[in-house]
Amino acid sequence: MATPIIMPRQGQSVESCILTEWKVSVGDTVAEGDVLAVIETDKASFDLESTAAGKILALFWEADDDVPVLANVAVVGEDGEDTDTFRPEGQASAPVAAEPESSAPAPAPAVSQVSGEPVAAPVAGPVSIGASSGVSPRARKLAMKHGLDPETIQGSGPEGRVIERDIEATLEGRPRLSATARSRSLSEDLEAPVRGSGLAGMILSKDLKVPGSVEGAEISPVKGIRKVIAERMIESLQSTAQLTLHTSFELTQAQAYRAQRLEAGQSKVSLNDIIAHGIVKALQNHPELNAHFLGNRIATFEKVHLGVAVDTERGLLVPVIKNASDLSIEQISAEVKKLAGACREGSISPDNLSGGSFTLTNLGMLGVENFTPVLNAPEVAILGVGGIALKPKRTESGAIEYVDTLPLSLTIDHQGVDGAPAARFLQTLVENLEENPGI
Amino acid sequence: MKYDFAVIGAGPAGYVAAKKAAGAGLKTLLVEKKKLGGVCLNEGCVPSKTLLQAAKTYHHAKHGSVFGVTVEGLNFDFPKAHSHKNGVMDKMRAGIAGLMKKYKIDVVDGEAILKPNRKIEVNGEEHEADNILICTGSSPAVPPIPGIEQEHVVDSTGILERESLPHRLIVVGGGVIGCEFACMFASVDVPVTVLEAMPEICPNLDGEIAGTLRKELAKKGVDFQLGCKVEEIGANSVQYSDGKESREIEGDLVLVATGRRPNVTNLGLEDLGLEFTPHGIKVDDRGATNVPGIWAAGDVTGQAWLAHAASRMGEVVVNNISGQTDQIRHDTMPAVVYTSPEVAVVGLTKEEAEERGIKTRTGRIPMAINARYIAENPEEAGLCKVVLEDGTNRLLGVHMVGGACSEMIFGATAMMETELREEEIEEIVFPHPTTSEIMKDVFMAVR
Repeated sequence: MATPIIMPRQGQSVESCILTEWKVSVGDTVAEGDVLAVIETDKASFDLESTAAGKILALFWEADDDVPVLANVAVVGEDGEDTDTFRPEGQASAPVAAEPESSAPAPAPAVSQVSGEPVAAPVAGPVSIGASSGVSPRARKLAMKHGLDPETIQGSGPEGRVIERDIEATLEGRPRLSATARSRSLSEDLEAPVRGSGLAGMILSKDLKVPGSVEGAEISPVKGIRKVIAERMIESLQSTAQLTLHTSFELTQAQAYRAQRLEAGQSKVSLNDIIAHGIVKALQNHPELNAHFLGNRIATFEKVHLGVAVDTERGLLVPVIKNASDLSIEQISAEVKKLAGACREGSISPDNLSGGSFTLTNLGMLGVENFTPVLNAPEVAILGVGGIALKPKRTESGAIEYVDTLPLSLTIDHQGVDGAPAARFLQTLVENLEENPGI
Repeated sequence: MKYDFAVIGAGPAGYVAAKKAAGAGLKTLLVEKKKLGGVCLNEGCVPSKTLLQAAKTYHHAKHGSVFGVTVEGLNFDFPKAHSHKNGVMDKMRAGIAGLMKKYKIDVVDGEAILKPNRKIEVNGEEHEADNILICTGSSPAVPPIPGIEQEHVVDSTGILERESLPHRLIVVGGGVIGCEFACMFASVDVPVTVLEAMPEICPNLDGEIAGTLRKELAKKGVDFQLGCKVEEIGANSVQYSDGKESREIEGDLVLVATGRRPNVTNLGLEDLGLEFTPHGIKVDDRGATNVPGIWAAGDVTGQAWLAHAASRMGEVVVNNISGQTDQIRHDTMPAVVYTSPEVAVVGLTKEEAEERGIKTRTGRIPMAINARYIAENPEEAGLCKVVLEDGTNRLLGVHMVGGACSEMIFGATAMMETELREEEIEEIVFPHPTTSEIMKDVFMAVR
């Protein structure tokens, strides 16, 4: 029986997932639990497993599509079964299902297919064709493979729709691809230039490029986490009034606290844990920094939900320690360890990647002295920690001695909070860290 | 005078470029300090191939008994062979001169000195051109061997002028030129020893192809001393070391064939700010130098060292000047050693492909499976090898030794220029019986 496979809901906050890669094709036989595709939410990636056994009858989405949760993504069943009833709305053309042969090299367009047909000549400039229905999916796919913009081609289909044969006709007027280049461009999704380096401009396999490539540079598409980060960062810089305040605190007590714990046989805590704990404490006296700026209103949080930036192979992730203000330093330390580990493994739940009220980011271990963190909007503040620096200090007796210090950089959204309260928060934080670290 | 295009050097790069440019309507100047045709026609390809054919004819006559042909009173008249050679050269030179006239190209005898602002001075007269092509070719390299200045020590140019056969020839350098002359003299019964520094002759060839050639030439009587260093050339001997001890070998003629050097001096290149080294003028794949309007082609660029490569480079330059994008494709440049048997190759060897990180599949087949080959070359071994890119099945290289394989390498070149894959090549029909069928059969041996 034909069974639809749905896009699972990955956590309560997730509305849609990006289908980054299909692992199966139409016609493949799969067992329950087989990986069908790789999907990415907000900030993490998962395997989409089959919930049925049988043949893949249809794949409704293409790689990189943003698929709503609970939508049908594929149908598993037996040959000949109808799949149309499962087709999600808006996926009427279903390009993948309609072209199961698309991964194999397509035959060169035969002249007989196009000769005698009323094919309009390609025009030089862009033609206004209207909505997305102006280019058939097959035509678009063929055009993209050959580096043609289908919107610039005059269509010969109903109401001027650009169809596959229009693309074929346009391609015939270009220098031809060598046998190797043709097969590689199709199998590896590469793009051909207008003119190649072979005989009379023949396009050779070495002329093929990844779509949108740049001379002397390796091109990779912006997708998944990178895309999310890119969107968030630019949105942050465009929608907030960022101001960064710099200070530093003396590490003497914090180092002594760590040594004490070690001596007493208590669990190890890092300087970062001590700072996280210090932030949580300080925010309780400065709630205006523990807030979201939402345009016409400001949400000030009762509890501190502390985001901690984690560097992973897949990019920057910010897991959130929920209700951090209810936790002891040991609990914060354990939570950071657990969440960071899950981020690095890629097993972090999307629910743990949202809902922060303040963010901590630390580049000190990478040799950075100071930096201006970018706000994790709509949060109004983020604290950046740099590397340990030796600084002179005048002691009570008037002598100069050198002490280890750690630089702190607080970026605030000046829309939601002013410089003075931010500075006062830093004062409290520094005081906590210098006098009562960990307590 | 003001020209659209000026060419310095009338070798295979220069006269081909001049003709193409003039044909495209450019007012063209061609400057040559020696003779039309350059090294190729006057000191290289053409005279050596004429003498090689003379030697081959003698050799066939002497060794025809397997075909039932025996000759009495066989004689090799070397001066007569030379006069045939001179006749061929005269005819070809006249042909080029006629061509230059037909295309209304101004040909000037003299040495050209380049001046800034695209000017050249010849015989005290200054000319100007929108584009200038430098194709001054190359000269035999002179290695620092004591005794090299003696009269009986010659280079590839000098040996072509000697009309008497030596009693014993010593060839210093087992590259393409050394092997061709060794083959020629051995074919007419002159004892020949080749001294090569590397562990195999023709180090740029596929090792197995080079080894097959060496064994075939040894059958003709060529003595190869590999991995040896020449220490001194005496009055009638050459002293060399084989790495362990010093040896001496007798010979009344010594050919030094240790490569060629681009002709980059006395041209005024320094004053132009042109980028060049003793290894050649630096050009891109269009033949453009770092100075706008100044182009270079052929041996002077230190690339390829082949007449046909030079001609193609000349054409590429003219195409680019006349607004047609074109580029030299060295990966599909065929190369030939005109020995008996001949060696003909195009593209990459398996080792070269793997150095570039390309995964390969290869095929190898002896010429002895080919009917036409054994009918015509009963006593000669031959070999054909192909290299394919694993995955795409694209043809990357063809390497042959045997018979007159130079005549069929263009087929492999065409396949590579069009990036044919194994599946397309297998559908090509080769006439039967021809030696070229080896190219079809070798694909069946691909693993």
